[in-house]
Amino acid sequence: MSRVLVAMSGGVDSSVAAALLAEEGHEVVGVTMKTFCYSEVPGHGKTCCGLDGIADAKRVADALGISHYVFDVEEEFTRDVIDDFVSEYALGRTPNPCVRCNANTKFRDLLERGRMLGCDAIASGHYVRMRHAEHGSALLRGLDGDKDQAYFLWGLPREMLPLLRFPVGALTKAEVRERARALSLATAEKPESQEICFVPTGDYRDLMRKELGPAHPALQPGRLVDREGHVVGEHVGYAGFTVGQRRGLGGGFSEPMYVLEIRPERREVVVGTLDQLFSDTVEVSELNWLAEPPKGGAAVRVQLRYRAPDVPARVAESDDGLRLELDEPHRAVTPGQSAVVFDGERVLGGGRIANASSRRTTRIPPSAFARRP
Amino acid sequence: MDSVYLDHAATTPMREEVRAAMAPFLGERFGNPSSAHRWGREAAAALEDARAAVASALSARPSEIHFVRGGTESDNLAVAGRVAWSRGEGATGDVVVSEVEHKAVLEAASQATARGAGRLVELGVSSDGALDLDALDRALENGPAVVSLMWVNNETGMVLPVPEAARRAEAAGVPLHTDAVQAVGKIPVRVDEHPVALLTATGHKISGPKGTGILFVRAGTGVRPLVHGGGQERGLRPGTEDVAGAVGFAEALRLAVEEREIEAVRLEGLRGRLEVGLRDRISDLRVNAGDAPRAPHVTSVGIGGVDAQALLAALDLEGIAASGGSACSSGSTAASHVISALYGGEDAFATVRFSLGRTTTAPDVERAVEVTPRVVDRLRAVRARR
Repeated sequence: MSRVLVAMSGGVDSSVAAALLAEEGHEVVGVTMKTFCYSEVPGHGKTCCGLDGIADAKRVADALGISHYVFDVEEEFTRDVIDDFVSEYALGRTPNPCVRCNANTKFRDLLERGRMLGCDAIASGHYVRMRHAEHGSALLRGLDGDKDQAYFLWGLPREMLPLLRFPVGALTKAEVRERARALSLATAEKPESQEICFVPTGDYRDLMRKELGPAHPALQPGRLVDREGHVVGEHVGYAGFTVGQRRGLGGGFSEPMYVLEIRPERREVVVGTLDQLFSDTVEVSELNWLAEPPKGGAAVRVQLRYRAPDVPARVAESDDGLRLELDEPHRAVTPGQSAVVFDGERVLGGGRIANASSRRTTRIPPSAFARRP
Repeated sequence: MDSVYLDHAATTPMREEVRAAMAPFLGERFGNPSSAHRWGREAAAALEDARAAVASALSARPSEIHFVRGGTESDNLAVAGRVAWSRGEGATGDVVVSEVEHKAVLEAASQATARGAGRLVELGVSSDGALDLDALDRALENGPAVVSLMWVNNETGMVLPVPEAARRAEAAGVPLHTDAVQAVGKIPVRVDEHPVALLTATGHKISGPKGTGILFVRAGTGVRPLVHGGGQERGLRPGTEDVAGAVGFAEALRLAVEEREIEAVRLEGLRGRLEVGLRDRISDLRVNAGDAPRAPHVTSVGIGGVDAQALLAALDLEGIAASGGSACSSGSTAASHVISALYGGEDAFATVRFSLGRTTTAPDVERAVEVTPRVVDRLRAVRARR
């Protein structure tokens, strides 16, 4: 029996995580992090970290007979997550705020506050698993392939691994709901949270306008160009685009067009055909390793988007950044997203995708951009 | 584990005598005081007995006591109701408050002045309890609708110079409202000795029921109701009366005032032991408003080098219930406007408020003195690892 700090969002997963640890006989301390100012969003209660989330977490904690506290991390969250999110989009990249939050805000804070509260372990409701052994601890994918959240956790401080517990990672979502129902937890039927928690309107461009002002270049109209620089249309602001996107390009092309690249300095969105959307070389920066880094030439598997399958790749360079050469070209590799390196089901580490390119060049005829009459 | 409740300024456990006094009105004596039959008469009599008891405890007239549904409502009625009334009288809609008022007063004042196009004047308070009386005099010259000055500050226990301010306000023909929520039962509160025009009290801070309270309105002071209906409480707070609540409030107040002198001495002794114990064992500790006159039941300490949220959580895990200042809606703790007013916005101390009450014993205090330094040491050690 030990004292375990559990991050409780007010959702069903972390509720069951707390319940399972309590059942095992641990002294469970529930914590909900207040991450941003909810009062500015009247009537908003959809996501699991709002005030409703805090109230739900308290109800569950009370039902389980465990302590529960709210920690206000608004300042850190704004600085480390929201500001980064906005500036990444302004730079034409597609950020992953949950990765950033876990790495910089949530787990670091849990670790420090956990130590302050005399806790021996830190837990959350993420669908991942830990394998603790004498020679070290490993972060593994969750058993439920649909829910696995390993993609979001590569940024954790490595020294923290031995302290981590993820009790629902060995369950399926259906099993988690079943446990919650069996315990009559208030959160048993709570729907999944889908949006980014600090973008309650569901349109992150609202946040961009608020943070950057509507006159910011990222929100101004610009040109759609092809790879060769020919202007093929107009867009309403590059902040609204991500690599692989089809929506917002105006349509009418003779072939389906996709966003290939965003060039913020020229306010250009580069478009092309599906063929051109594939790349096979990925430059990764801001690396973090949860295991010994793979050596140059090593065969690994890499996941390049949440919910995308991992694919085979070879480590080409491993000194400063990381260059991954994919065995097969991959669709819509997007700067700003995470590249997470796996050895089987084990997370070795990851980083932010800085750049994607192709070893071979695909040339497509200019006629593809011709607008249908 | 022994649990120690040192958060009586947040709320208090209800007394057995209060529960007993209320019980008939939650049962067989359920009547509506406005009804013309026996049930109604019974309820009306109980309500008026309660009113008379409250008036007696505060040295007021029964007709000046208005039952409302809690301290926040009473504060709002006093401030916003007074501003609304003044509009009809050609006075300015200005409201004068101290910067350490409870949010119920500050928010009511800010809303009322915004609606009535009046100004909100905030008077400075220093950590030794001195109010900027010159600023008060200047503000009074503009003929504000009301001055609202709390008698005892909820976060620090500091006693503000309400009698002096009330005299100056009266001389200027301006009514003074005092939020006496933390004062009644702790320091002498008599409306016959000081010219306060409006006074707020609530039941749950004095071992009475939650959701109960009064607004004392001195005869001749104009206030407009904020809700409208059947004319109960002299039209100031319409709605079928909470007879059980009024009876419970009156009994709690009666007992608190009756026992005040002896209880104040006891609490002051316990608080002294707590403060000396903490000072001896914790470096870099400040008693907030320690040089001000204070009510006997609150001590607010600032502790350097610790995280306030973690400190309160760690204390709770050790069975000690304290608070960060005042209770916030989410249970989170934010920088307090009171501590900022007294010590500046960049104050680096974590605030913990221990507040004592009827059920607090010497062993409770000993336990807090033993546990708090241990917890502070642990928190400081974790921070040192950064």
